[in-house]
Amino acid sequence: MVRNLTRVMLATCFGAFLSFGSASADPAKEAPWYPDTAAYRLTLFLGNLKPLPWNVIEAAWSDPYRNSEFSMGALTWLAETSNANTSSLMDALAREDRQSLFAAATRLIALRIEEELDRALDADDPASAQQAVRTARELYRAFADAVAAADPEASRRIGLAWLELNSSLGSAGVLGAGAIPAERETMNAARSVISDYLADNYLVDDFAPRLQLSPLPETAIAGGRDVEMPPSLPPGSDIFDQDPLPLLVLNFEEQGIDETNLPLVAYGDMLFDSARIFGSPARDLGIACSTCHNRSDVNQRLFIPGASHQPGAIDVDGSFFNPIFNDRRDDPLDIPSLRGLRFTGPYGRDGRFASLRDFTRNVIVNEFGGAEPTPFMLDALLAYMLEFDFLPNSMLTAEGTLTDEALDAARRGEEIFNRPLAGLGDRSCASCHVPDGNFLDRQAHDIGSAGPAYEGARAGAFDTPTLLGTAYTAPYFHDGSLPTLAAVVNWFDETKSLGLADAERSDLTAYLEAVGSADEPYETFDAENTSFRLAFSELTTFASTLDTLLPRRDAEHILLLAETVVADLSADASRMSNLAGRPEVYALAGRLAQVGAAVREEDWQTAEAHWDAFKVEAETIQERAF
Amino acid sequence: MSIRLTRRAALIISVAGAAFSGTQLAAQEDVLRLAFIPQENPEKLLGDIAAITGWLADQIGVPVEGFVTIDHAAAVEALRNGDADISFMGALPFVLAEAEIDAVPLLSEVYRGAPSYTGRIFVRRDSGIETLADLGGKDIAFADPISESGYLYPLAEFVEAGLVAGPGEAEAFFGRIFFAGGYQQAMQAMAEGLVDAAGASQYADLLLTPQQQAEVVWIAESEPIPSHVVIARPGLGADLRSRFVDAMMRLNEAGNRGLLRYLYGPDGYVRADPAAYDGVRDMARRYGLL
Repeated sequence: MVRNLTRVMLATCFGAFLSFGSASADPAKEAPWYPDTAAYRLTLFLGNLKPLPWNVIEAAWSDPYRNSEFSMGALTWLAETSNANTSSLMDALAREDRQSLFAAATRLIALRIEEELDRALDADDPASAQQAVRTARELYRAFADAVAAADPEASRRIGLAWLELNSSLGSAGVLGAGAIPAERETMNAARSVISDYLADNYLVDDFAPRLQLSPLPETAIAGGRDVEMPPSLPPGSDIFDQDPLPLLVLNFEEQGIDETNLPLVAYGDMLFDSARIFGSPARDLGIACSTCHNRSDVNQRLFIPGASHQPGAIDVDGSFFNPIFNDRRDDPLDIPSLRGLRFTGPYGRDGRFASLRDFTRNVIVNEFGGAEPTPFMLDALLAYMLEFDFLPNSMLTAEGTLTDEALDAARRGEEIFNRPLAGLGDRSCASCHVPDGNFLDRQAHDIGSAGPAYEGARAGAFDTPTLLGTAYTAPYFHDGSLPTLAAVVNWFDETKSLGLADAERSDLTAYLEAVGSADEPYETFDAENTSFRLAFSELTTFASTLDTLLPRRDAEHILLLAETVVADLSADASRMSNLAGRPEVYALAGRLAQVGAAVREEDWQTAEAHWDAFKVEAETIQERAF
Repeated sequence: MSIRLTRRAALIISVAGAAFSGTQLAAQEDVLRLAFIPQENPEKLLGDIAAITGWLADQIGVPVEGFVTIDHAAAVEALRNGDADISFMGALPFVLAEAEIDAVPLLSEVYRGAPSYTGRIFVRRDSGIETLADLGGKDIAFADPISESGYLYPLAEFVEAGLVAGPGEAEAFFGRIFFAGGYQQAMQAMAEGLVDAAGASQYADLLLTPQQQAEVVWIAESEPIPSHVVIARPGLGADLRSRFVDAMMRLNEAGNRGLLRYLYGPDGYVRADPAAYDGVRDMARRYGLL
């Protein structure tokens, strides 16, 4: 749950994000993509979606990508910084010609690299040359992972060429002292290595048809080799956990029961955090249940271009995650909270699954292309998820009425909430959001929040959502179309002609905010109680299920556990505050890997010995694990 | 990217903030001019400068202007001729600027609780390389020939170990020496196996992917290097200098810490101790820079 950050970094192409040689380095940030490179990678990603979102591809070139540090889109950027001709690109976009667009965009990026290399070689001072090479290298990033996948030898040759080139640019020294002259011959030779490869692979007049758009080099495609590109997300994607991190409330924990004494729950907790239960690309990108449902709640920042229409929303039945499950409808949903899950069935935004077990299997197998989960895995996941509780809220009684802690405005709103209204067919808000039933009625209703899918169709009905905890889950409605609870009140007032006065709307909003509130909605961290400490605690808890699985000789589930925890523990160490503690954590991950290796060999005695050692070592380093 | 910076004070953005807009600048001391060294994304730096100078103007009570120079030399030149009053600078260029124009250190950046850091020699964990001597005849990538933690200090460890005779003699020990262009490029070259070792800041492994971080170790660490410094031209008035330093120190307060991200992202500032740079002065002399 708190490990999505490291998964993201595993899945993305990393680059520098340095100040002018600052002592510090930010471990969390991916290097910003230049606007033109970003537009190219977005084009490749979006160009593989079906149906192809041409309007989003156009925007990828005209607008800054999401969260870009550059204020301008690629076309403006190119106009201001380059002499490159974009007419072929614009023509392909206008004709909505996918192959031509690929060819034009690929050549454009390659030409930009050439343009910057020319600038570097023409520069009359090292600083300008270094800046041009830095830019050229950032542009080459558009192709780098594909070259590495298709042609490791060329990737190495080009990597060395960049080193040679940069080293041969010379240095202006510091204030004239220590200046190093440029080595023209070496510069030219290194540049040739790069340019020759670009000419053969990315500056091609006639690219072979691409079934799948990717930056794979033309020689690999033309050679007919079956090269697999590691999945990646395009610039603008965000699958980091939200900040602040939602507080997880587990029923057993509140009762003082230790999760290590609940091995089925602990294993389910691990599965909820494991991308390994999904298929590619989710699995390779490190996307797990907890990526969308941070700490059982939502992830308000999650965004994948082409699959999200806004942050916090995702289309899980589009073509990206599992093409066979592609419903070819652009219908991303606002991520729902899973708090109080055992009270909120039926499941799915439209309540189409009566069974949480069926719903969970559908998520794993259909939405995210995973292998059929074992009965044990489904049992474990359900055992864990059924422990999700609502956030404690001292403004609400157990029956769902306001306590003395609520404001007067909320009290007046409570009366309105329970008042039968003509616009609601003489029902009240509370008819569906039943206060003593966790503010839901377990029914699906068509309130007119979605338009009909086709002429004559009945508009969509959606499962009544709970109002508990909603102060922290904006935006609202199935598509996240309403940004605030006040907007929800206004929507009902206007579409249902409730005739509420301004003050009444305000009071009703205050009531919703009180009902949706919580005493402690977010995790709190400090210098030593870090997110890593939380992750360390969770991961060692997951591992504790080995006390149950090893005696059962359950190799399949042990290996799934070991693979998940070893990778996460090792990756999580990268964000420890206590940098000196990292080697111990790496060693601990290595110890668990030895458990897995022994199990693979069916050497159960050795596996148990490593597991015993793991427990001792984990205990030893616990205090330093922050 | 091709944002073209002229050698001196190329991109001047305004900055005085709403309170001062339209104000006629009366005299040199009525405005404070800050020189910034460019980072990876000059456009972002411009936005950062606008944010921080606006805040500083409110705090100090005079308009504050910021501009980006192409490099340290241009910043020092701007300090020398009065185009800049203050500049953000690395420790090495500072000691040279001090020698050349009597630049005054005002504030030192703090990272992870200290106004200093180190340089390290990193290798791949599975390389079998355990000591500096093991790197004889092997290839190494440094960040930049004028980088303290990315070249000068890590190389000094080889000198200290008796493996390299002195500055300028490193070629005789190593196979190839590359200057990769930055910490990340040097580290990446090592992690990918293009070279056997990298010399970079102690924190440079954090620039690798988490998976790569687990695959690298460091085998030598330099003496502490004073972190980056905020310096002033010698003629800057004591009052304005003092107000600037006080304002910058207020960045350490909880409510203002968010603004640090506009200033290359340190954890905070301390008042600079000129003596803390003695080691850098010695290092600069050893390398013939001073």
